[in-house]
Amino acid sequence: MVQFFVKRLIGLIFVIIGVTFITFILGYLAPGDPIRQQMGDHFDLQTWMQLRHAYGLDLPWYQQYYNFLTHLVKFNFGLSFKYQNRAVWDILKDGVPVSAELGFWGLMIELLLGIPVGIYSALKANTWLDTTSMGISLIIYALPPFVIAIIAQVIIVSLDKQTGGSWPASSWGTPWQYSWSDLQPKIVPILVFGAAGFAYFARITRTTMLEVLRQDYVRTARAKGLQERVVIYRHALRNAMIPLVTLIGLALGFLVAGSFFIEQIFNIPGIGRISLQSIYDHDFPVIQATVVLLAAGVVLGNLISDVLYSIVDPRIKSE
Amino acid sequence: MDDREREPKVVSSEFMHPDTGTVPPPPELLDLADGAVNTNVAIASTPEEAQKAVKSPTPLQDSLRRLRRDTRAMISLGVIILFVLVAIFGPFIYQRIGSNYQSEQYGTVPVSVYHSFSHQELIRQDEGPSGQYWLGTDDLGRDIFARLMQGMLISILVAIVVEIIDVILGMTVGVLAGYFGGWIDQFLARFTDLMFAFPGLLFAILLTGVIGPSSDDALAKIPFIGANGNGRLLLVSIALSFTIWPLMARYVRGQTLQLKEQQFIEAARTSGTSGIGIIFRHIIPNLFSIVVIAATLNISNTIIGEAGISLLGLGVKPPGSSLGLMISDGTPLIDTHPWEIIVPTAVLAIIVVAFSFLGDGLRDAFDPRSKD
Repeated sequence: MVQFFVKRLIGLIFVIIGVTFITFILGYLAPGDPIRQQMGDHFDLQTWMQLRHAYGLDLPWYQQYYNFLTHLVKFNFGLSFKYQNRAVWDILKDGVPVSAELGFWGLMIELLLGIPVGIYSALKANTWLDTTSMGISLIIYALPPFVIAIIAQVIIVSLDKQTGGSWPASSWGTPWQYSWSDLQPKIVPILVFGAAGFAYFARITRTTMLEVLRQDYVRTARAKGLQERVVIYRHALRNAMIPLVTLIGLALGFLVAGSFFIEQIFNIPGIGRISLQSIYDHDFPVIQATVVLLAAGVVLGNLISDVLYSIVDPRIKSE
Repeated sequence: MDDREREPKVVSSEFMHPDTGTVPPPPELLDLADGAVNTNVAIASTPEEAQKAVKSPTPLQDSLRRLRRDTRAMISLGVIILFVLVAIFGPFIYQRIGSNYQSEQYGTVPVSVYHSFSHQELIRQDEGPSGQYWLGTDDLGRDIFARLMQGMLISILVAIVVEIIDVILGMTVGVLAGYFGGWIDQFLARFTDLMFAFPGLLFAILLTGVIGPSSDDALAKIPFIGANGNGRLLLVSIALSFTIWPLMARYVRGQTLQLKEQQFIEAARTSGTSGIGIIFRHIIPNLFSIVVIAATLNISNTIIGEAGISLLGLGVKPPGSSLGLMISDGTPLIDTHPWEIIVPTAVLAIIVVAFSFLGDGLRDAFDPRSKD
């Protein structure tokens, strides 16, 4: 057990080093002198040297990378290129709660809607209910998140036009506040955000559940004369949940990738949109910080699902 | 065995490996990832079967017959063929249908010009479908139908380039890792872990965003492929293949590992065939189905990727056209002219869904056991 986690942690450290190195080296090798760009017409050698020194850009690359890493450990992401003297964290900090909120509710939609739909489909396998819900989730899963987002927006706008209502098609309320005016703009993006994962979980749950229902112990439980409800919820569902736990990490990956598009399309001021803006601005410290944050989120999600997995499934300890 | 751990089935502990990869494959490939060998490809296990095999169709014909019976996959295939034909030949035909047009802006404009994807008639903005402009015009007075066909062509081109790189790289590394193991296997495992830590398109977005603007000139110097301002497109393709190939390599590795244990490989080895000989004569031919299926399913991800990157303004630049770019051009007009965003979104959705249905159908046809 301990060995398992040590090995996992070593793997994670490797991944984090790889991710930080790639993001660092991309910024380092990217053509164009960021300081020069920043100074524009007001170029003079003295200030240029000073600024280069302040950002640590006059050091050799390994020194720069080392500084980047050591600062990262202290949660210091450095200074922005674009907004002089503004710490990167200062730029990001407003986006974090927004993205976290979006991600949290998105994940909730995936799990709390996807899993029950999957179970229900499995119990009603091959009826019209099962075929329709699985058909819909198949299409939702195949579609990229931005297409679903645009379809949702077109629907909102045309509904607004017909009813004369003013349901907002974009923007966001105060994070973690749920008065009606805060909630209203959040509902659709969250639903869209969770859609792909919802379809994924519904399909996987259905497959797993069908598999479990075919097992001998389920037949035994039924033969014992247990109530169908007990058989399904106590015997089948619990075992079907085990492999699902490992998929939460994957779901996180889905969410992070989707956040770029959802935040851009719905005009939500989260991390995804900030990092896109910094890509447009060539603001490397901000790009590096967001990429590392997002990748760390995914890696952490995977670690958590590993831990959960070994708790839920004791057999893994025997390794 | 890497992917066993994540299999959404009842997992048995004998397949557990503490240091396996961190990310599971997408659900459509779960059955493949487990390296389900298509034993029907190469061997008939009993004498009766062997005798029957003389007359019965080959496994490939058998799979194709199953595929033909799959209505959903066949409809998807039909849609894909139709779209490909329209994208390739459509512009030539479309630019010959119609007559010269007296533009207030440019004087006489021949049909081949105003039916091209980049011509702007600034006084004919945001029109609905008409005889002159079959699907109307966009906010710069460009022909939406012409732009749509160009966008589809771009999607197809990117998909082809990415899949070529994906198959070559993925197969080479996957076969070597699976057959020889050792450091190349270690490298693949670590590299896959690393690439999976960049969620989805993040790496491609990063690469195109950071080195895109400055690499345009350099890539444009490459003859033919980089010509006509397609340099950025090449970069997008490279970035996408870079994120996609490890997945292909993992499937190929899994399949190779299983094939290696098969008796016919053992027989070849005992009769003195070299490692290289076995790889080329016995392993690669048996990878056909897994590579075709994985590539088909990857195409839909590739098309999504290109459209997504162009949507974010990091891919194809105007006056070029791409489905993603058309969607992004239409976004501000969603209130007033929703048509301009609905058309490219619908086309993209149809293409993507068609490819993933075809991929599912291929998987079911080539590996009947995977059907649930």
